[in-house]
Amino acid sequence: MINSSAASIEAEGLTKRFGKFTAVQNLDLHVDTGTVVSLLGPNGAGKTTMVRMLATLLRPDAGRARIAGHDVVSEADRVRQVISLTGQFAALDKNLTAVENLRLMARLRGHRRSSTRTIVEELIGRFDIEEFRDRLVKNLSGGQRRRVDLAAGLIDRPHLLVLDEPTTGLDPRSRQVVWSTIRELVAEGVTLLLTTQYLEEADALANRVVLIDHGREIAAGTPAQLKAQVGEQRVDVVAADGAALQRLADVLAEHFTTTVTREQRTVSVPAPGDAADLARVAETVRDSGIAVDEIALRRPTLDDAFLALTGHTTGADAEDPEAIDPQRIDPEAAPPESLRAEGVAQ
Amino acid sequence: MSTTTIAPNRQGNAAGRYVRDTLLLTARSLRSIPRVPERLLDVTIQPIVFILLFLYVFGSAIHVTGISYKDYLFPGIIGQSLAFGIIGAGVATSNDMTEGVIDRFRSMPVSRLSIITSQVMGQFCEALLGMVIVIVFGLILGWNPQLTFAHGVELLALMTLGVFAFTWMGVLLGMLVRSPDAMQGVGFIVIFPLAFMAGTFVPIAGMDLVPRTIAHWDPIAALVATVRELTEGVHSSGSWQLDHPAVAMMLWCGVILAVCVPLALRRFNHTLAS
Repeated sequence: MINSSAASIEAEGLTKRFGKFTAVQNLDLHVDTGTVVSLLGPNGAGKTTMVRMLATLLRPDAGRARIAGHDVVSEADRVRQVISLTGQFAALDKNLTAVENLRLMARLRGHRRSSTRTIVEELIGRFDIEEFRDRLVKNLSGGQRRRVDLAAGLIDRPHLLVLDEPTTGLDPRSRQVVWSTIRELVAEGVTLLLTTQYLEEADALANRVVLIDHGREIAAGTPAQLKAQVGEQRVDVVAADGAALQRLADVLAEHFTTTVTREQRTVSVPAPGDAADLARVAETVRDSGIAVDEIALRRPTLDDAFLALTGHTTGADAEDPEAIDPQRIDPEAAPPESLRAEGVAQ
Repeated sequence: MSTTTIAPNRQGNAAGRYVRDTLLLTARSLRSIPRVPERLLDVTIQPIVFILLFLYVFGSAIHVTGISYKDYLFPGIIGQSLAFGIIGAGVATSNDMTEGVIDRFRSMPVSRLSIITSQVMGQFCEALLGMVIVIVFGLILGWNPQLTFAHGVELLALMTLGVFAFTWMGVLLGMLVRSPDAMQGVGFIVIFPLAFMAGTFVPIAGMDLVPRTIAHWDPIAALVATVRELTEGVHSSGSWQLDHPAVAMMLWCGVILAVCVPLALRRFNHTLAS
C-alpha cells in the first residue's frame, strides 16, 4: 500500500482561492520520509489551508500533491489510510470521555473490540491519560486535550503525521510536554508535517522550515540557516526613565556593542552566549547602580525573521500578540474566537 | 511502537463499511443526548410553554365547536413540536459541523455518507424523544385521545415519517446557514409563523384571507389535521390537503425527502469539502 521509496509529501504548485482571496499560491513542498518539516508563518498565512489540502479536506484549485505516492484528489481514500491529521483545535468529540474518543477512533479505523482495547490502553499509558481517562473532553484542560488528540492520531502508526499548530493556546509547561512527545515520535521515525506560528517551536522540532506568508513561500532551509539570516539572540535592558536610559547606554557601550531603541527605553546587546552574556550584562548594570525595569534574554521571533527576510513585519502585532511571544499566552485560555473563525476560513 | 503489530480489520465491501461506520457514529451522537440535556430541552421546553399558555391563559377565550379546547390543542402542539424539531436539528447540525472532530472523521478512512446519515439518525432519535416527552406531558395534563389500535399504529408510522423528513430538512438548513444563531433566525422568521398558522391553536376557517390561504397549503397544517383526525375524529376541511391530511402528509414528507436528502449530501461532500 505504501510505496516506501516515495517521499512522504510531494506537492507542486498547490493553489487555493476562496472567492477573490488567494489563501495558498503556487506552493511547492517536499518532505522526505522520516523527516520533520515545519510550515512557519503568522495567522492567515495559509498554513491551515495547505494542511487541509494535503489531508484531502480541501480540493486544490491548481497544482497537485502526492502523499506516499498517492494523489490527494484522485486517490483520496488511499491517502486517508496513511495520514493522521490533528487539527488546529482539538479534533475530539467534547461530549465523550477521553477513553470513549480513543475507542471510537480505533473502531472507525477498522479495529475489532478486542484489539481496540489493547491499543487504547497502550495509548492511555503512553500519553499519561489514565488520571483523566473518564472525564468528558469538554472538561479537560488544553494540555490534556492535546494529549488525547495526539494519542487519537497515533492509533495506527501513520505514515505521515500532520500536526496543525499543536501548541497554540497552550501554557509553556503543556507546550514542553507536547514537544517532548513529538520528539519521541520523531525518534521513532514518524514523518511529521508541523505548522506553527512560533520560530522557537520550528527550531526545536523541525529538520527543515518553510516560512510562508500570504500563501507564498518566503524562505526555506534548516532552522540554523534561517536563524543565521535572522540574527542572534540578544539581551534587552529597559531603563526606568529617560535620564537613566542615557547613562545606561553609556555604561553598556563601554563593555558591549549596543543598540538603543529610545521609544522603548531599551538598550540591546547581542548575546550569542545565552545565560553567560545575560549574567555579564546584569552584573554591569548592577555595578552602575542605574535604575532599570527589566533585563531579559530575547530570542529572535517570527517577526524578527520576517523583518530580516522580507523587510516588513508580519503585521500581526496589533491583533495577535500571541503570535509574537508565546510566553505571553494566558495558561488556560481557549483560543480567541477571532482565531477560531480565521482557522476555519483560512 | 507495538500498536503497529495489530493490523486493522479492513475487510468487507463499501456497503458493509458504510453500515459499520454509521452505527459507530450514531452511537456517538446518542451518547451526547444525556450529556447535553439543554439540547433536548430546546425541543421540549417551547411546546410545553405553549401548552401552558394556551391551555390556561388564552384558552378561555377560544371556543371551538364540537370539541373541548384541551383536546383541540394537543394535536396542534404535536404538529408544532415536530416543526420546531427542524430548528433543533438545524442548530445542532450547524454546531456539530464546525467541530474539529468532523474534520478528523473526514481525514480518516471513514465512509463520508455515514457521517451525514449518523447526524440525521442522532437528531431523529433526539426529536422522537422530545416528542414523546411532549405527549406524556399532555397526557398528564388530561389530554384524552380517542385512539383505536389501528389508528395508533397509523399515527406512530406517520409521526415517525414526519420526524424523519423534518430532521433531514433541519440537517440541510443547519449545513446551509453559517452559524447556530442564523439557524435560530431562520426558525423564528419562517418556521415559527408556519407552525402558528397551521390550525395549531385556532381553526383555520376563522383566519384572515392571507394566513388562511397559506394554512391551506402549509405542510404543518396537514400534519396537525392528521393528528387531529386520528386522535379526536375531527375532520378538517378547506383545501384538498385538509380533506386528505394523511395522504397529503405522506406526499409532503416524500417531497421534503426528495429535495433535502440529495441537497444535504451534496452540501456535505462539495461545499464543506472545498
